[in-house]
Formats: sequence, structure tokens, C-alpha cells
Amino acid sequence: MYAWKCWRETRASFIFLLMLCTVPALLVTLGPGLTEQNGWWRFDRSEYLHNAGPTSQLVSIMVLSVLWPSGFLSAVFLGATAPGSEIEPGTIEYLWTRPRTRTSLTWTHWGVCLAEMVIVAVVPTYLAAAILGTLTRTWNLPLLMIAPWIMVIVGLPMLGLTALMTALRRSAKGGLIYTAGIVSVYLIFRQLITVPLHLNLPPLFAGPVTWLMNNKPFVPPSAFPWGSLVRAVLLTAAFPLAAQYLLKRAEV
Amino acid sequence: MSEAAILTEGLSKSFGTQAAVAELNLKIQPGAVYGFLGRNGAGKTTTMRMLLGLVRPTKGSARVLGLDPGKEAELLRILERVAFVPQRKQLYGWATPVELVRMNKAYFSCWSDEAAARLAQRLEIPMKTEFKKLSIGNQSKVALLLALAQEAEVLVLDEPTAGLDPVMVDEILRTLIEDHVSQGRTIFVSSHHLGEVEQICDWVGILEEGRLLLESRLEEIRQEFRLVIASGEGLPAVSSTDVVSATTDGRFRRYVVAREAERFAAELRGQGATILEVSSLGLRELFLHLVRKEDVCTPGNAGAKPAPVSSFS
Repeated sequence: MYAWKCWRETRASFIFLLMLCTVPALLVTLGPGLTEQNGWWRFDRSEYLHNAGPTSQLVSIMVLSVLWPSGFLSAVFLGATAPGSEIEPGTIEYLWTRPRTRTSLTWTHWGVCLAEMVIVAVVPTYLAAAILGTLTRTWNLPLLMIAPWIMVIVGLPMLGLTALMTALRRSAKGGLIYTAGIVSVYLIFRQLITVPLHLNLPPLFAGPVTWLMNNKPFVPPSAFPWGSLVRAVLLTAAFPLAAQYLLKRAEV
Repeated sequence: MSEAAILTEGLSKSFGTQAAVAELNLKIQPGAVYGFLGRNGAGKTTTMRMLLGLVRPTKGSARVLGLDPGKEAELLRILERVAFVPQRKQLYGWATPVELVRMNKAYFSCWSDEAAARLAQRLEIPMKTEFKKLSIGNQSKVALLLALAQEAEVLVLDEPTAGLDPVMVDEILRTLIEDHVSQGRTIFVSSHHLGEVEQICDWVGILEEGRLLLESRLEEIRQEFRLVIASGEGLPAVSSTDVVSATTDGRFRRYVVAREAERFAAELRGQGATILEVSSLGLRELFLHLVRKEDVCTPGNAGAKPAPVSSFS
């Protein structure tokens, strides 16, 4: 039943984020085919068949358009509804006096958020892939097919970080502010180190996203940043475990 | 004798250097209706939270239905069998009472839909209005509904009637008596409304600064407890375990005596004191005498500054 509560509480954000990804996906994929003729809009499929160039561009735009909403925004917004966010408003007394372990509540929330993130990332991307495949008769779009999963993998540490911060700050607002602060400080620090010292520091766990953004759909990909992916997976586990540890010992 | 519904032994909780609960020993028998009284900050809420695993004791132990709330597996079994109404009756603002009932019933095997429907009607709860749009009184009623329909063996109620109008208070007290007390369920209730406590409780415990000042049957308070006011120069120290409280200011002393007040008064007279009054005590008077910090000494209102009971023993 806690899963239903998580869904009920996040469904507005979920629908908003799904639309935020789906609308650009439809616009980006169907836009080039729309032409004006005698004051009317019509869809011209031949636009896709004569030139393969736009397809490549479309895939890149598509990846970018769903990247932030599905990966980072959904992770942060969903993470801010973690059990720690209920401490300040006072609903935690209700939640923690139901016969469920605090650990199970932490991971149920995580699971519901994971499912929502997967849907937000996969549905628009695969919808775009299906439309593009149908229109161009080109079904070989590996980059587009793996893009949502990479976004989810990179988004999960953000989900965990936000959930951890809400547990630490005992409120959704505090959690969001701390998460934004940590990400900002990290990015500024990285920039400060990179430019004057001429260092090319790899992003902590966002390497796969950089890789996605730098690669072209039909060009052999550059080396995949496996190290960054491993860090993302480790942080995916570490942050919720830390939140679980904090909440298990929290007194209210 | 059957196992205590609630048992604490030397239960203590400190927040930094501040002792919220100190060496609390409670034994509440199954079926008892126990009124837990005290001023704001006396430690009532902290005690209840410790019983439900929301706060960990600094020292001592607690058992609810024979189970230790400090152990996760046992705490889950406690939470299945205990209903709790917290002091801050905050539930999800987006949810209607209907949704809250649906959500809550999934947690409890003994949940009664029939009781929930009856309570909703009896307490006149607007079941389809979002919780955040309900008045504070209606929010309290929803919290009570969720706890009472759980059909729990033990009810832990932290100021359950706060914010309710007298009609609703009466409805709730009647519901507690008809549906819960009559079925032998244990009720552990904290309240500042002593009239309500007198109406439903058979036991009371009075807490002050984390310490239990008094624990007694309500009937015993009515029948046995007396206020003895004495005056005189240098009133003698009294060696009696029957004195539960004494306040003093100059020439006046007020003693709350648990039993044999006349014998105690005679003993004082024998030591040179003048007895001004020996009167029976209601719960309210007893409570005020035990916990009042400042009390201007005037004719007919003798005494001030409570002295520790131990100094009279």
C-alpha cells in the first residue's frame, strides 16, 4: 500500500515529466515532415526518405530532449518525495507506526521511482524510435535504443542523492536545496580544477551521458566510459543505503 | 496475573543534557484505561513515542504486550496490535479520508470496515474532502477514525480530543467506552482535559519533568486522597509514606495525603500545628497541587513552591 501512496504522491510530477519528454519526442520526429501547402499543414513522408542526414540529427536532438527531464529532473523530483521528506511535515509519525520496516519503506519508494523513471525515459524515446523507423524505414538506431537506459542509470545516483539529502535535512525542500548545492559545488569545483590546471577530469558518474551527447548515431562510437558507469552503479547503491541507515536510526 | 499491556522499567530519555523522561516505571494491566497526565513538556509524548519505537530510550526498558519496541521484529508485532493517535495529527494533505482509510486498512489484518463506516457517520467526517482542506477538528477525527477502526488490542492516544468541540469530545468518549472499554481493550491516553480523563479512565499517572509523581486508581483518589492544610511556626517535618505532596510557604503547609488523612492531621496537631482544613480532592485539584510551580499564598489558598515528596519521608 505504501507503493500506491508513493505513486499517488508522485503521479502529477510523473505525468508532467512524461509529457515533458513525449511532446519534444513527437515534435522532433514529426516536425520535419510537416509542410505547408495552400495554407494547410500536411505531412510529407518523402522528406524522410530522400535524405538520411536529418535522421541522424533527429536522433541527436531526441537524445538531448529527453536527457534532462528523464534522467536528472525526474530523479531529483521523485527523490524529494522519499520517506525522509515526511519528517518535517509530521506525517512520518503515521508512516512509521504502520507495521512495516523503515528499510522496506525506503526501498519501496526507490522501486516506485525507478519504475517511473524507466517509463519517463523509455516511452518517449522508443516512441520516437518507432516513428523514425516507420518513416525512414531505418530500424537500426542503437544509440536511441540504449539512450533511455543510460539516462536511468545516470539518474539513479541523483535519485539516491536527493533521497539521502531529504533524510539528512528531514524535509523535501531541504533535500532539494542540498542536492542542488552539492551538484553546483561539484560542477564549479570541476571547472575550477579543469581550466587553470589543464586537467581533463572525467565526470564523476555522468560519463555515459557525455558519451551519448558526443556520439553520432551512425558513426562508430568512441570508447564507452565504463569507469564512470561503474561509479554510477556504485553510487546508485551507496546513496539509498546511506539514506536507509540514517532513517533506521532517526528519532521523531 | 496476566502479562502487563504496557510495562516500563527505569525508562529514561535525555535530549542532550535535558532529561525528558527519567526512571519511569509503569505497569498498565490489560483492559485498563490509563490517563497519563502532566503539564506541557512533562514527558508524556516522549514516553508514548518510546513505546512505539519512534524514539529510543537512553536507559531502561519498555515492553508493550510483552514485546520489546527496541527490536525491529518485535516492534512490527507491536505496531500490528497497537493503534496510535499522535499529538500532531498530520496525515497526507492530498488524500481524502476515503483514500486514507483504503490505504490504512491494507496494513492491518483486524481492520473493521464496519467500524470505519460507523465512526465516519458518528463523527460527521466529510469523507470526500482532501485532508488539507479539513478543519483541525475534522483532521483530528480522521486520525481517530484510522486508529479506532484498526480494532487494536491497545490504544495509545496522545491528546486525542485536542481541537474538538464538546459534542464531538462526548461522541469520542462514548465511542471509546462503548466500542473499546467494554471489550476489555487497553487504553493509554494523555490529555490536558481532566474532566475527560475522569469520565473514562480507571487509572491515572501524573508525570512532572519526566518523573512519575503519582500513580493511582481514580476511585482511590476520590475515596482516599485528602488535602490537609496546616499552619504554625516551624511546622514539623512529617515522616509518612502516605504524604504524596507537600507545598510550603512561610507558616502554611498543604499536604496531599493518600490515605488516613485524619490520623495524619492528628499527628500534625500533636506536633503543634493548627489544622485549617481537611478536604477531599478531585482529580483536577490533585493534579494542580502536585504540579503547580508557583502558588501565591493567600488566606484560603495556603502554600507555594512544591517541596520534593522525599523530603517528607
